[in-house]
Amino acid sequence: MAGLILQQLVIDVPGRASGTPLDIHVQPGQVWGVLGPNGAGKTTLLHTMAGLRPARSGQVVLADQPLAGWRRKALAKQLGLVFQERQDGFPATVLETVLIGRHPYLSPWQMETAQDLTVAREALQALDVAHLEERLVSTLSGGERQRVAIATLLTQAPAIWLADEPTNHLDLHHQVAVMQLLTQQAAAGRAIFMCLHDLNLAARWCDHILLLYPNGDACWGPAARMLVPAALERLYDQPLVTVEVEGAPFFVPRK
Amino acid sequence: MPRLLLPLLTLTIAALAAMVLSVSYGSVPVPVADILAVLQGQGSELQRTLIMDLRLPRTLSAFATGGLLAVAGALMQVLLRNPLADPYVLGLSGGAAVGALTMMLLGLGGLFISSAAFAGALLATLLVFGLAHGMGSWTPSRLLLTGVVVAAGWGALITLMLALAPAQRLPGMLYWLMGDLSYARTPAPALLVLLLTCLLVIPLGRSLNVLARGPMQAAALGVSVQPLEWTVYVMASLLTAVAVTTAGSIGFVGLVVPHMLRLVLGNDQRLILPACALAGGTLLVLADTLARTLIAPEQLPVGVITALLGVPTFLYLLSRSR
Amino acid sequence: MRPMLLVLVVMLVPAMAQASQRCAVDDTGREVCLAAPAQRIATLSPGATELTWAAGAGEQVVAIVAYSDYPPQAQQATSVGSHTRIDLERLMSLAPDLVVAWVTGNPAEQVETLRSLGLPVFSIEPREFEDVASVIERLAYLAGTEVPGNAEANRFRTGMAALADEYAHRDPVRVFYQVWNEPLMTINDQHLIGKVVTLCGGDNVFGELPRLVPRIDREVVIAANPEAILAGGMGEENRHWLTYWQQFPGLLATRQDNLFFIPPSLIQRPTPRMLEGTRLFCEKLDRARARR
Repeated sequence: MAGLILQQLVIDVPGRASGTPLDIHVQPGQVWGVLGPNGAGKTTLLHTMAGLRPARSGQVVLADQPLAGWRRKALAKQLGLVFQERQDGFPATVLETVLIGRHPYLSPWQMETAQDLTVAREALQALDVAHLEERLVSTLSGGERQRVAIATLLTQAPAIWLADEPTNHLDLHHQVAVMQLLTQQAAAGRAIFMCLHDLNLAARWCDHILLLYPNGDACWGPAARMLVPAALERLYDQPLVTVEVEGAPFFVPRK
Repeated sequence: MPRLLLPLLTLTIAALAAMVLSVSYGSVPVPVADILAVLQGQGSELQRTLIMDLRLPRTLSAFATGGLLAVAGALMQVLLRNPLADPYVLGLSGGAAVGALTMMLLGLGGLFISSAAFAGALLATLLVFGLAHGMGSWTPSRLLLTGVVVAAGWGALITLMLALAPAQRLPGMLYWLMGDLSYARTPAPALLVLLLTCLLVIPLGRSLNVLARGPMQAAALGVSVQPLEWTVYVMASLLTAVAVTTAGSIGFVGLVVPHMLRLVLGNDQRLILPACALAGGTLLVLADTLARTLIAPEQLPVGVITALLGVPTFLYLLSRSR
Repeated sequence: MRPMLLVLVVMLVPAMAQASQRCAVDDTGREVCLAAPAQRIATLSPGATELTWAAGAGEQVVAIVAYSDYPPQAQQATSVGSHTRIDLERLMSLAPDLVVAWVTGNPAEQVETLRSLGLPVFSIEPREFEDVASVIERLAYLAGTEVPGNAEANRFRTGMAALADEYAHRDPVRVFYQVWNEPLMTINDQHLIGKVVTLCGGDNVFGELPRLVPRIDREVVIAANPEAILAGGMGEENRHWLTYWQQFPGLLATRQDNLFFIPPSLIQRPTPRMLEGTRLFCEKLDRARARR
């Protein structure tokens, strides 16, 4: 079965009740948005789904095989993650950073081929950072770094994309460009699963929504069914005003 | 590919030049023509002894030791993602020194000192890794902190041993602590280890590039982080142990050579690690040549020269870099 | 009688076959054999240089180390570094046919390298007065200078014995011998200087300490309250080591004015000059007895 399947998954947030176990099938072509207030466990969920953190119970299954049974290198060809926090301990250029995305495809003795370089340059182009190729990542702005990180995932080209706040630090234009890129990827048969802070970006670009409550409760389903004011007001503990723009709901906090 | 080959070729030429220089210069002058004759199996018996029995083994030992220390330093820095890490900071040399000094105190020499230094370095490794592991998982900062504290403990033991040592054993102990290639006899083991390391480390290079971006990121990109970290740590420890066993404790090479190379060549481990082997070896060969000849017949400790050569070079490169 | 003679002949045959070969056992128990008397001797410590000169082989010494300053003409030989770090190249280039090394002073690795290069290495470590005489005799034998060498060894041996006869049984004087100032260091009874103290009828207040050259605190010196304080040190410019003790009038040694300087070169090297140093030492202790 294609896609990523969460079976009775309870993420391990220390000191929190288990809440609702997640039973979700993230299918190719879908764009999932995860909404929830700070501390709801969005990042923990993504890390658990990438097999970087053990679940409290339940499991994540990819191609009929629980993640624990996958070799990391094989998994990295299937599943990739844009991290919210990044460390650059040692200086590296933008091109070097993006080329790292080819790591799972190369054997230990192999150098990057011309084709790998092409893939990396196309990714830089797609994210509008090609002109920064030779710059050190540490000298970039937050938004530029964010785009470099997404370009790295594009270079990695997995079937399942996990992204932690992919629009962080981005200006409006680049927010839209990144969301367009992600939906294009979904249209090309990839599964997209991302955490978002911005309700309205989720409402505009996601077809499926997972609401994560701070107490561990959760509910999920098609966007139209999930993005109702009552549920969202409870989620953020914040009264909202809803308007409709171009056929999609638009949420504004009530004063 | 030429991106990697050009710097390595340059460094290889520099290394060979340094070795030629080291074999050509000594406290007793031997004309170049005679050196060539000796290398072809001719020349006088004295010249053969000077070149083949004294200078060449010492030069090769210096090269191997310098290379091992620089590679070990580069590995530790990537492992801990901390530019200040080097084998000495983690107490490896402290353990080796305590082992070696114990043998000197007992009046044992040669092989005893070497084996005790080796055992001491491995003991220090296990101690630091075991303690840093502790109850939970180890993090680079925890490993570094444990290493620094354990190193301080070794330091205290060394001072205690020096204080209790009989006066006539003190000079030998101090020279060992300062690093001394006159103790080096057969360069073969260290050279062999250096060669094996290079062969082992090059395929690990790209994984280390990924690891430098943090363990989570590395895992997400397909690196099996824990086995890699173990391999790197054990390897760096073994390299240090072999280096310390060959030439006593020589600081500074492991810290500064990788950084100098990073400032010039960037941070691709596939390039940096073999480059460290070459540049570290070159630095120590040059330093030892100076140590032997500068105020001959008096001999200087090589560690002093590595620092005197390395510090200004490093500061110059640092001030020039972005 | 006959079998006895046969045994003697059997024993003598190999000895006669190697009539020109000279062998001596060094202080590590190794037998060092030379095909001919040593003509180019390298001495790797100031003490070794002095003993080789004492053995009458001074003219054959071609290599010395730093501080090989006695006898003064010894300094005309080429220096090959210091006793802690030898310039092996320069040493080899002098083509020595005998190396006199110092067991606890020279780096074991370097001495081992010299052996592996085929040089005969004779390692010395005199710990008793008799060792000084014996080293001189053995070196003289290896260098083929037995006549002056044995004479010097005997002069030392009989001189020391005479001093022992004269002073060893006199009234004990409680002695503190100061090797160094900072840190304060002394010697125990096992040390060669400690044996000088005993030979002169002295009683070393720190003689029972386990270490050969103990580092001690000034307080214990004052508590031990020695009757005489003798100091060596480096060079001849250290009388202030003694004036320091004058600020403690409660000390018996200070009250009796028994603060004596002994030139360190006469007593701190295990060489025949020790005879002179020991005589001086005994005379000082006798002066202390006279002041009672």
